[in-house]
Amino acid sequence: MTLLTAHGMTGGYGGMDILKGVELAVDAGEIVVIVGPNGAGKSTAMKAIFGLVHLREGKVVFDGQEITNAQPERLVRAGLGYVPQERNIFPNLSVHENLEMGAYIRRDDIGPALERVYMLFPPLVEKRKQAAGELSGGQRQMVAFGRALMTDPKVLMLDEPTAGLSPLFMDEIFDRIIAVNETGVGILMVEQNARQALEIADRGYVLATGENRYIDTGSNLLADREVVESFLGGGGGNVDTGNGNGDAGSERDAAAKGAGDD
Amino acid sequence: MIEFFNDYIVAALVLGSIYSLGAIGISMIYAILRFAHFAHGDLLTLGAYMSLGLVQKGFIVFMPLPFLVGTLGLAGEEALAPLRMGWHPALTIPVAMVFTALIAIGIDSLFYRPFRKSQAIIMVIASFGIALMLRSAFQLIWGIDDHYYWPIQPPLESLEPFSISAKHLYIGGAVIVLISATHYLLAYTRTGKAMRAMSDDPDLARITGIPTERIVVWTWIVGAALGAAAGVLLGMDTRVRFDMGWNLLLPMFAAAILGGLGRPYGAIAGGMVIGGLEELSTIVIPGDYKSAVAFAVMVLVLIFRPQGIFKGRML
Amino acid sequence: MEFLGGLILFLVGFATLAGIASVSTLGLNICWGVTGLFNIGIAGFYAIGAYTSAILTAEPSVPSNPHLGGFELPIPVGWAAAMVLSAAVAWVVGKVCLRLRADYLAIATIGIAEIIRITFRNWSAIAGGSYGIHRIPKPFESWPQPWAEIFFLLLVVAVVAVIYWVIERGINSPWGRVMRAIRENELAAAAAGKDVERMRLQAFVYGSALMGLAGALSAHYLKQFLPEDTEPLTATFLIWVMLIAGGSGNNKGAILGAFVVWGLWTMSEFMTDLLSAEWATRAAYLRVFMIGLLLQVVLQFFSRGIIPEKPPVIGRGEKAEKVEAG
Repeated sequence: MTLLTAHGMTGGYGGMDILKGVELAVDAGEIVVIVGPNGAGKSTAMKAIFGLVHLREGKVVFDGQEITNAQPERLVRAGLGYVPQERNIFPNLSVHENLEMGAYIRRDDIGPALERVYMLFPPLVEKRKQAAGELSGGQRQMVAFGRALMTDPKVLMLDEPTAGLSPLFMDEIFDRIIAVNETGVGILMVEQNARQALEIADRGYVLATGENRYIDTGSNLLADREVVESFLGGGGGNVDTGNGNGDAGSERDAAAKGAGDD
Repeated sequence: MIEFFNDYIVAALVLGSIYSLGAIGISMIYAILRFAHFAHGDLLTLGAYMSLGLVQKGFIVFMPLPFLVGTLGLAGEEALAPLRMGWHPALTIPVAMVFTALIAIGIDSLFYRPFRKSQAIIMVIASFGIALMLRSAFQLIWGIDDHYYWPIQPPLESLEPFSISAKHLYIGGAVIVLISATHYLLAYTRTGKAMRAMSDDPDLARITGIPTERIVVWTWIVGAALGAAAGVLLGMDTRVRFDMGWNLLLPMFAAAILGGLGRPYGAIAGGMVIGGLEELSTIVIPGDYKSAVAFAVMVLVLIFRPQGIFKGRML
Repeated sequence: MEFLGGLILFLVGFATLAGIASVSTLGLNICWGVTGLFNIGIAGFYAIGAYTSAILTAEPSVPSNPHLGGFELPIPVGWAAAMVLSAAVAWVVGKVCLRLRADYLAIATIGIAEIIRITFRNWSAIAGGSYGIHRIPKPFESWPQPWAEIFFLLLVVAVVAVIYWVIERGINSPWGRVMRAIRENELAAAAAGKDVERMRLQAFVYGSALMGLAGALSAHYLKQFLPEDTEPLTATFLIWVMLIAGGSGNNKGAILGAFVVWGLWTMSEFMTDLLSAEWATRAAYLRVFMIGLLLQVVLQFFSRGIIPEKPPVIGRGEKAEKVEAG
């Protein structure tokens, strides 16, 4: 069943529309990936769903309730989680405290949730009492991810979870994402590493210049030469600079370019 | 050596503690609400005057008029007698903290909340105006004379040759209790952790689902309560005057900046350092220029290490 | 007839003080309204200007009131020196502090103003301590009343008019447009290659020089200058309220705000004068309270000020296009 639908999202920062009628949907337990060149509006679309970017037109429905332009607190209570790309942990709080804050809205015993997160990310166990800001990039992503899982969300939105990570960590994160998904959590993910993301995706959306271009299963999109060349960068490797000129950047370059707003 | 302690260290500890308590509030308010609260000094003064009222006139100072009239009708003077008893200054601290916190919340909802989404500088201007309003209210209600809690206290004989009087013991005790309580709040309670989280990153706190307005109210409660306590302690140490808190605003800002904005433990450290430097500076420069010391420290920090000792927010 | 004379003198005096205040508000407008610099140190520059001009132009000191100078130089020299010295101090302060964020700058300028005031108050040898400097010459003072007062007022009006004209030319010039760009979006202006730091410093210095001039004008008007005259309430805060009420970024508003707020301030003084002596002192504090409250009201409901800011017009004589407010 479809848990999250966004329909006709139009809006942006200030007076400018970055999104022009964007559609997205996530079914329960799906992995949905949003890909596209830089500046396509991928991150903006996700922020718009979470009420961080004002939509002047369009409708977002989650679990039967309309949540267009709603406050984050309400969304978290409804079961929608969000992990931003940057500044996604509290650096001066310990790892454990970061997770506790993730569960702030919960009044019940968070022990089971904590256990689940520590089982999912074993490296965090021994770093529990350390300040999150002192951890490595990959470990910080784990904390950010774990923090969002503390409310047992039904759908989790991840903004470029592998940005700035080494290839080894990238694989680890993708493995974790799959593991989380297998527990029944739907995933909506913006990814610059389009190839790898689409490989694990049930469904993919290709956005360019604020509009939907393609909607299909992950494997179908990967198989489509036109999609791959125009929007995902030709040849083996990851996303290009976004001009569609087919240059394949190195993995680290692409990840580095992943920073910033789409 | 002992003379040095008596002449400088005792004063430095007292002044430093007062600065610390005030700076915690300034630091947290800056990190969470993102503006420099220019009226914070006057919250100190407010606490001191409330305490003074309790000491001089008893709890009746806090009772609204209708209640008074009603009680008079029912039971007359005798019923009111216990309310008129003067309190011991040390005991007034919790009451002053509570009522100052309530007033601070009121000020925030009337005068600061409308600007939550505006530029920070507007809130600074507003708080500057509130500072003025508070000071003139103090002058209006209590006049411009100095008030004292108690006559000059001689050093306690039992502690000779150290020059420590009873008030120093009260102040020291209060500071230890307050800082411990603050530490407990910040390190072990859900609300305290949420305050630290918001202090780190208000936007992420919102995204996490933390109810930010509620935490803002708590920030005012903690900041104003600690400030009120600092005011009472200052009044105990010196005297109560309408501009007592305003005069400490610059050193408290310096302490907060030195410690790193948004780092409450940094504010404590910063307060002690500034207090110590100010007192020790009187060895070489005239006392009138004490505020220049705090100012110089602040400018140096802002230029060379703007995030302060403990790496706080710079926004 | 006497009543009329008294009324004229009162109005002239009112207008003179409001005019002097508008010199300060125009200066503040350069700092804040045009460039967005938050200068709470007005009182400091005011003091520097006043004392400088006083020291240079007053009669020599007497043993009962020792102070530096009393060089009896011509008044224009005093005023020029006041502006130059204020500008110099502002330059030093600006070099150190302008790179700070707006609210840090606010704290810094308050600190500096306080230190300046304390210095003047304690430096008996130079500034006459708490007694201040007296017997400062006043333009036209040998003329018969009410002409002496009237001509002084005209002098102030002339000064304000000149300043207004110069600033208006400046705002509508390329220099002014860059200033506004910096205020609206500093990063973009810097990216466009403008030397942001230097221009902010210029604005700070010019604005502070005007505040110094206001101080000098006051000192000569009152023929004396004491530390109380630099009290931050009137020297700093009231100026801010004037500018915000009148519309920051806007020169007409700066002048209008000065007159309106000074009018309210004077009126409130009248009302409290009517009260009995016992209430009178208390009422003085009530006036301050009302001004603070006025500021809150203006900030919340009239945040554009009484005269809202209009974008400057491009060019002169060409097709007048309005610039987007940005």
